[in-house]
Amino acid sequence: MIERFGTWEGFLGLVAIGFVAYSVAVVPEFATDFNISQAIAGMSERGLIVLPMVLLIIAREIDLSVASTLALASVVFGVAVQAGLPIGAAVAAAVATGAVAGAFNGVLVTVLGLPSLVVTLGTMAMFRGIGYVILGPRSVNVFPDSFTDFGIDNVGSAPIPWTFVPFLVLLPLFVIVLGHTALGRRIYVIGGNPEAARYSGVRVDRIRFGLFVVSGIVAAIAGIVYAARLANSRADNALGMELDIIIIALLGGVSVFGGRGKLIGVFFAMIIIAVLRNVLGLYQISGDAQGTSTGLLLIAALLLNSTVQRIYAKYRIVPKRIQSAGPRSGGQAVTSNEAPNTRM
Amino acid sequence: MRLRNKSLGIAALALATSLIGLNASAAETCATGPVTVGFISKLDTDPYFEVSKQGAEEAQAEIGGKVLQQSPGQQTAEAQIAFINSFVSQKVDVIAISSNDLNALAPALKRAAHQGIKVVTYDSDVVAPARGVFFNQAKSDSVAEMLLQSMGDLTDHEGEFAVLQGTPTNANQNSWVDFMKAQLKDNPKFSKMKLVQVVYGQGSEQIAQQQILALTQNYPNLKGISVPDGIGMPAAARALEQAGLLGKIKLTGLAPASLLKKYIQGGAVQDVWWNVKDLGYLTYYGAQAYAQCKITGKTGETFKAGRLGDYTIGEAGEVVLGPAQIVTSANLDVFKF
Repeated sequence: MIERFGTWEGFLGLVAIGFVAYSVAVVPEFATDFNISQAIAGMSERGLIVLPMVLLIIAREIDLSVASTLALASVVFGVAVQAGLPIGAAVAAAVATGAVAGAFNGVLVTVLGLPSLVVTLGTMAMFRGIGYVILGPRSVNVFPDSFTDFGIDNVGSAPIPWTFVPFLVLLPLFVIVLGHTALGRRIYVIGGNPEAARYSGVRVDRIRFGLFVVSGIVAAIAGIVYAARLANSRADNALGMELDIIIIALLGGVSVFGGRGKLIGVFFAMIIIAVLRNVLGLYQISGDAQGTSTGLLLIAALLLNSTVQRIYAKYRIVPKRIQSAGPRSGGQAVTSNEAPNTRM
Repeated sequence: MRLRNKSLGIAALALATSLIGLNASAAETCATGPVTVGFISKLDTDPYFEVSKQGAEEAQAEIGGKVLQQSPGQQTAEAQIAFINSFVSQKVDVIAISSNDLNALAPALKRAAHQGIKVVTYDSDVVAPARGVFFNQAKSDSVAEMLLQSMGDLTDHEGEFAVLQGTPTNANQNSWVDFMKAQLKDNPKFSKMKLVQVVYGQGSEQIAQQQILALTQNYPNLKGISVPDGIGMPAAARALEQAGLLGKIKLTGLAPASLLKKYIQGGAVQDVWWNVKDLGYLTYYGAQAYAQCKITGKTGETFKAGRLGDYTIGEAGEVVLGPAQIVTSANLDVFKF
């Protein structure tokens, strides 16, 4: 039994389920269609962007420019719609913008060898700046009904908003790539030890570049989703969202030092944060107090994570551990054998 | 992903999808007595909305009902949307919001209205179809003229001045600055005054101070700065004081007069202001009248707002608290907020 939940992801899963069950039982008005669907809708963009972010952090990189890319893509999308382009073409223009933005980050990191933290800190300001150059402080807010309906409506009678569907489509894709393909294994290996990866023939830079491009594209998709949800294209869209996304990834058990983490943990982290925010809102706890709670949660999680692992490590039979990790998740097996306590 | 995590994930999903409660949509109804009003402010660090809340509570003590207030930690539409949804879930009867964005809140407010909740705005409006009534502290054109008049009084109606506003998306600040620009062009009284630049403090005292210092360096002939922003103005006064420029560069704008008391007393600073508490008071009375269908937002309808007397709804569902006033050392005592 201990073995069964003896991972951070298992622990998070228990916490998430417990928290949801508690909220349903105790918090008035929590378990209504409207409330559930809006709590989910609020995660539409964060869920999307966190997917490539997890891959990047596992590969020892980071993309701080995601929220700015989102804003820029939403501006390009809005301007295209305003110019009379059909929605399909406007979507293509926005996605292309995201791809170019991601490629720009990728080139600076892989060709010029600059650290991604610094590069994307710069492009974080730059991409949003370009958004302001294009649209100034104005906004585009006239969209076709079909588009705004996508931003507002739920799927059938289920409390799942349409804006959450792109995430639900991409999630299994990312889970498969990261957990069940050679590419996924290489991403772990790069994060675990980039030099070793290079010597064993992994095309490290090509994979890194690809991850940045994917990050840009997904951020652009999130930009379109955001524009639909708020019926608004504006250069200051999603201001500060990059931090939320990184918090979700870290809370989900993705190691800041790379090489470790799973999307299932990140998914549970999303549930915990969405429910926490929602419940605080229902209890009328406002603004900065909410931000403080998320911050505290992250710090508590970092402390707990290392403690939980230390405790479980005592009870765990080592050969079985390796067996259960399987030969596929090479990067993880290596790191957990090394020293489970040194990483987070 | 290992098997045990998969089963956990499925369990979580199953739990999440089983939370389908009853639909909470209510029919359009008229309340028969005082109801709950949920106020959503622009930003939780802005003292303005604490003062307006006191006014709402004063009105609540007089006529009953309930006052709730929630404030976002970021001055963005998205942060406010979370609170709109939260109030819908809490089933308040009226949402009264000071909007961070003219357009972006419209879908969420319309959705709230669809759930049977009445929507009004105060302090800062949204597009008209997304709300019933707008409780405005003062007409934008009159505020803008007062701001220019005050700047003119301080600078003998000539020379360069700059504007520091909050965020570029702030609807009412944008409209004040637009009206100021129009007045500068058309009104001969202001023909010798020149607006050199509009900068943004982004709702942060620190950024506001940096912007003020940058302005004083970029424009050596700057005679004054107009700050139509409650967070920016006290910050601007402190920045000028610390730089030893207070008096050389005159300051006016919009902010709680109580925060600027010592600067206004000195004579180098003026303020354009209204009774903030009364705005909350008026909004609460108006929101109750709207919930009880005594008013529907049509031009010409009237309602009673306690000690403030009778109000009439103007064009596009707008109710104006009254004319703004210029606060100087002479009349400072009147503004106890």
